[in-house]
Parts: sequence; structure tokens; C-alpha cells
Amino acid sequence: MELSGEEKKLQALFSELKAADEQSAPHFARVWNRVQIAPRRIRAFNPVFVAAAVVLLFGVVAFAVWSRYSRTVSVPPPRIAEAPPANITTKPTEPSPATTLLREIKPKQTSLTARGNRPSTRHTTLVAAADRKLAKDAKSIASWTSPTSALLESPSDEIFGSLPELNQSATQLKSFLPSRSN
Amino acid sequence: MDIAELKSELEKLHSASFGWALSCCRRDHAEAEEVLQTVYLKILEGKARYRGESSLKTWLFAVIRKTAIGEYRKRLVRSLVFIGSDEKRDGAASLADGPTKIFENSELQKQFRGALAKLPARQREALHLVFYEDLSLSEAANVMGISVGSARQHYERGKKHLREWLSHTETENGIVWRRKETPSTV
Repeated sequence: MELSGEEKKLQALFSELKAADEQSAPHFARVWNRVQIAPRRIRAFNPVFVAAAVVLLFGVVAFAVWSRYSRTVSVPPPRIAEAPPANITTKPTEPSPATTLLREIKPKQTSLTARGNRPSTRHTTLVAAADRKLAKDAKSIASWTSPTSALLESPSDEIFGSLPELNQSATQLKSFLPSRSN
Repeated sequence: MDIAELKSELEKLHSASFGWALSCCRRDHAEAEEVLQTVYLKILEGKARYRGESSLKTWLFAVIRKTAIGEYRKRLVRSLVFIGSDEKRDGAASLADGPTKIFENSELQKQFRGALAKLPARQREALHLVFYEDLSLSEAANVMGISVGSARQHYERGKKHLREWLSHTETENGIVWRRKETPSTV
């Protein structure tokens, strides 16, 4: 391709620039030796290191937030469970509310096994302590008696509380009755 | 290609590589030397590998260009973070400018450098690769990582700008051209 007049001028200017650059260029051996001698710099802003650090930081923060959140979660309401009949102290047909609450409390073993797979043992301990406190409160409610319950007592409570022994009374009556001869 | 063979090839291309590094670093000698050093380090460490897909010169120039862009970005970040880093660079530049003092005295070359510096980077790169490095447009496109059509556009636009500058300079200074004329590979 033939160059025009202006292109030739440009070529000449670039040639002059090239000649000057060649004069000022550092020796290859100098640059090469410096490369070989120079210690490997530890890159502070290596993108791989930065990305790894960010991921690690995010993981730590996420774990911290998660553990904090799971600690502050309130204890779930006790589930209604079938209580054994041996625990009932009053009539089976009409259990008192306190006894019902006591029966509603799930055994501690169940809650512990449900949380057994959680990584934080401290969290499990805290939940178990909360369960124990709840059970203690329920027991105290079950043993509670009204202060006016004494007023409801009467001397005839024994009569209402016991049944007449009909067979014995009949025998006693028979002995007093006159014998019929006809 | 083993290291010894690569070293001898790099040595042959060293001055051209330095010229290209200079162009990529806006004619900053210290920065160009640092870029070239980084490129050699990359090659030694195997981070930049020549696979023979293009000529060694084209591949090397592409690596230099990418490294220069990366170094420029790093420098930009550093200059934002550390304000005092400019003092060292000024000193290095003044030392490196010593050998080119004679060249600097040429008023026309000064103006030419100024005109080149005013050009957009892509146009400057295309002109440099064609006129300075005697590469073809397809090779220049390969180095710049663009299509041949785009490279041609940058080349034509850059040439147009320089033509305008030339005509303006000639009319202003009445310069007579008596320079060596070399055929182009375009």
C-alpha cells in the first residue's frame, strides 16, 4: 500500500520518536535481572484474597447474628400432652386448672432431643433451664389452695363423704324387730 | 517454548516493547519500565503464557497493554488512598527524562507528542502500532483486543486528527519535511 504525503510525514515523526525511545530504553539485562532478583511481592489487594476475606467475614457475621437471634427466641408454648392418670390427685372427671397445666408441660427429655442437633450447647442449656423453671411454676400452681377454703368446711362433710353401710344396718334392725310367729 | 528461548526472543523485542509500554503509559518512562518489569515477571511466573495462537510480538504487546491498564488502575487507587506517592514518581520521571533531553529539544517532536497525547487512547494505540511498530491493522486489532473494522476506524480517525494537526503546524511554522521515508506494512 502506497503511503500518501501526509502519511509519510507521520511515519517519519514516529520513526524519530522510536529512535529516541530506543536510546532511552533500559537495558534488557537490567530489567530481566531485577525481575529475577526481586522478591515476590505479597499482593495486599489480590482479588482472590479479598473475595475470600469477604466471604469469611460474611460467614462470621451471619453466624453471630443467627446465634444471637436464636438465643432471644421465646420458649415455644408448651404442647398439650397426655398426662399419666397416676399424677391426678383430684377427681378424674374434673381436673383442676393447675393440674391441667402441669399435665400440659412436655417432659424435658423431649425438648432436649428436639434441640439435640443444634450446634450451640449453651443454647440447649438455656432452653432446658427455661423448661425447668416452667415446670416448677406449674407445680407451685398445682399445690396452691384458696385462703377461704376453710369456710367451706362443715361438720356434715363426713356424712357426705361416706356412704351408709346398708347391710350392717339391716342386720342391726333385724335383731330389734319382733319375730313373727304366724 | 522454554525460558531461555523465550528470554532471547524477549530481548530481541525489548526496545519495541518498551516503546509500546511508553505509549500505553502516556510516555511516562518510570511507569513504562515498571510495566515491562511486571510483564517479564508474569511471564517468568507463568501467569502469562504464550500458546502460539498469534505471533510472539502480538501476544507480548497484548500482555503489555493489559498490564499497563491494570497498573494504571492500581496507581489511580493508590493516588486516591496515599496522597504522598506522587513525590517519588516525580523524581523517577526526572531521572528517566535525562537521556531524552536532546530529543525533547526538538520543538516539532514536542508538539507531536502533545498532539498524540490529546488523541483518544484507542486512536493513539492504533497509530502507534501501525506507524511505530510496523504492525498490520489485523495485528494491531489483535493486540488491542478489538475487531479489524474497529481498529481501522480508530486508525483512520487518529490519522485524520494528526493530519489536521500537521497542516496546522506546517502553515504556522513553515516546516520543510526532509525526513527518511519508510514503507508501511499497512
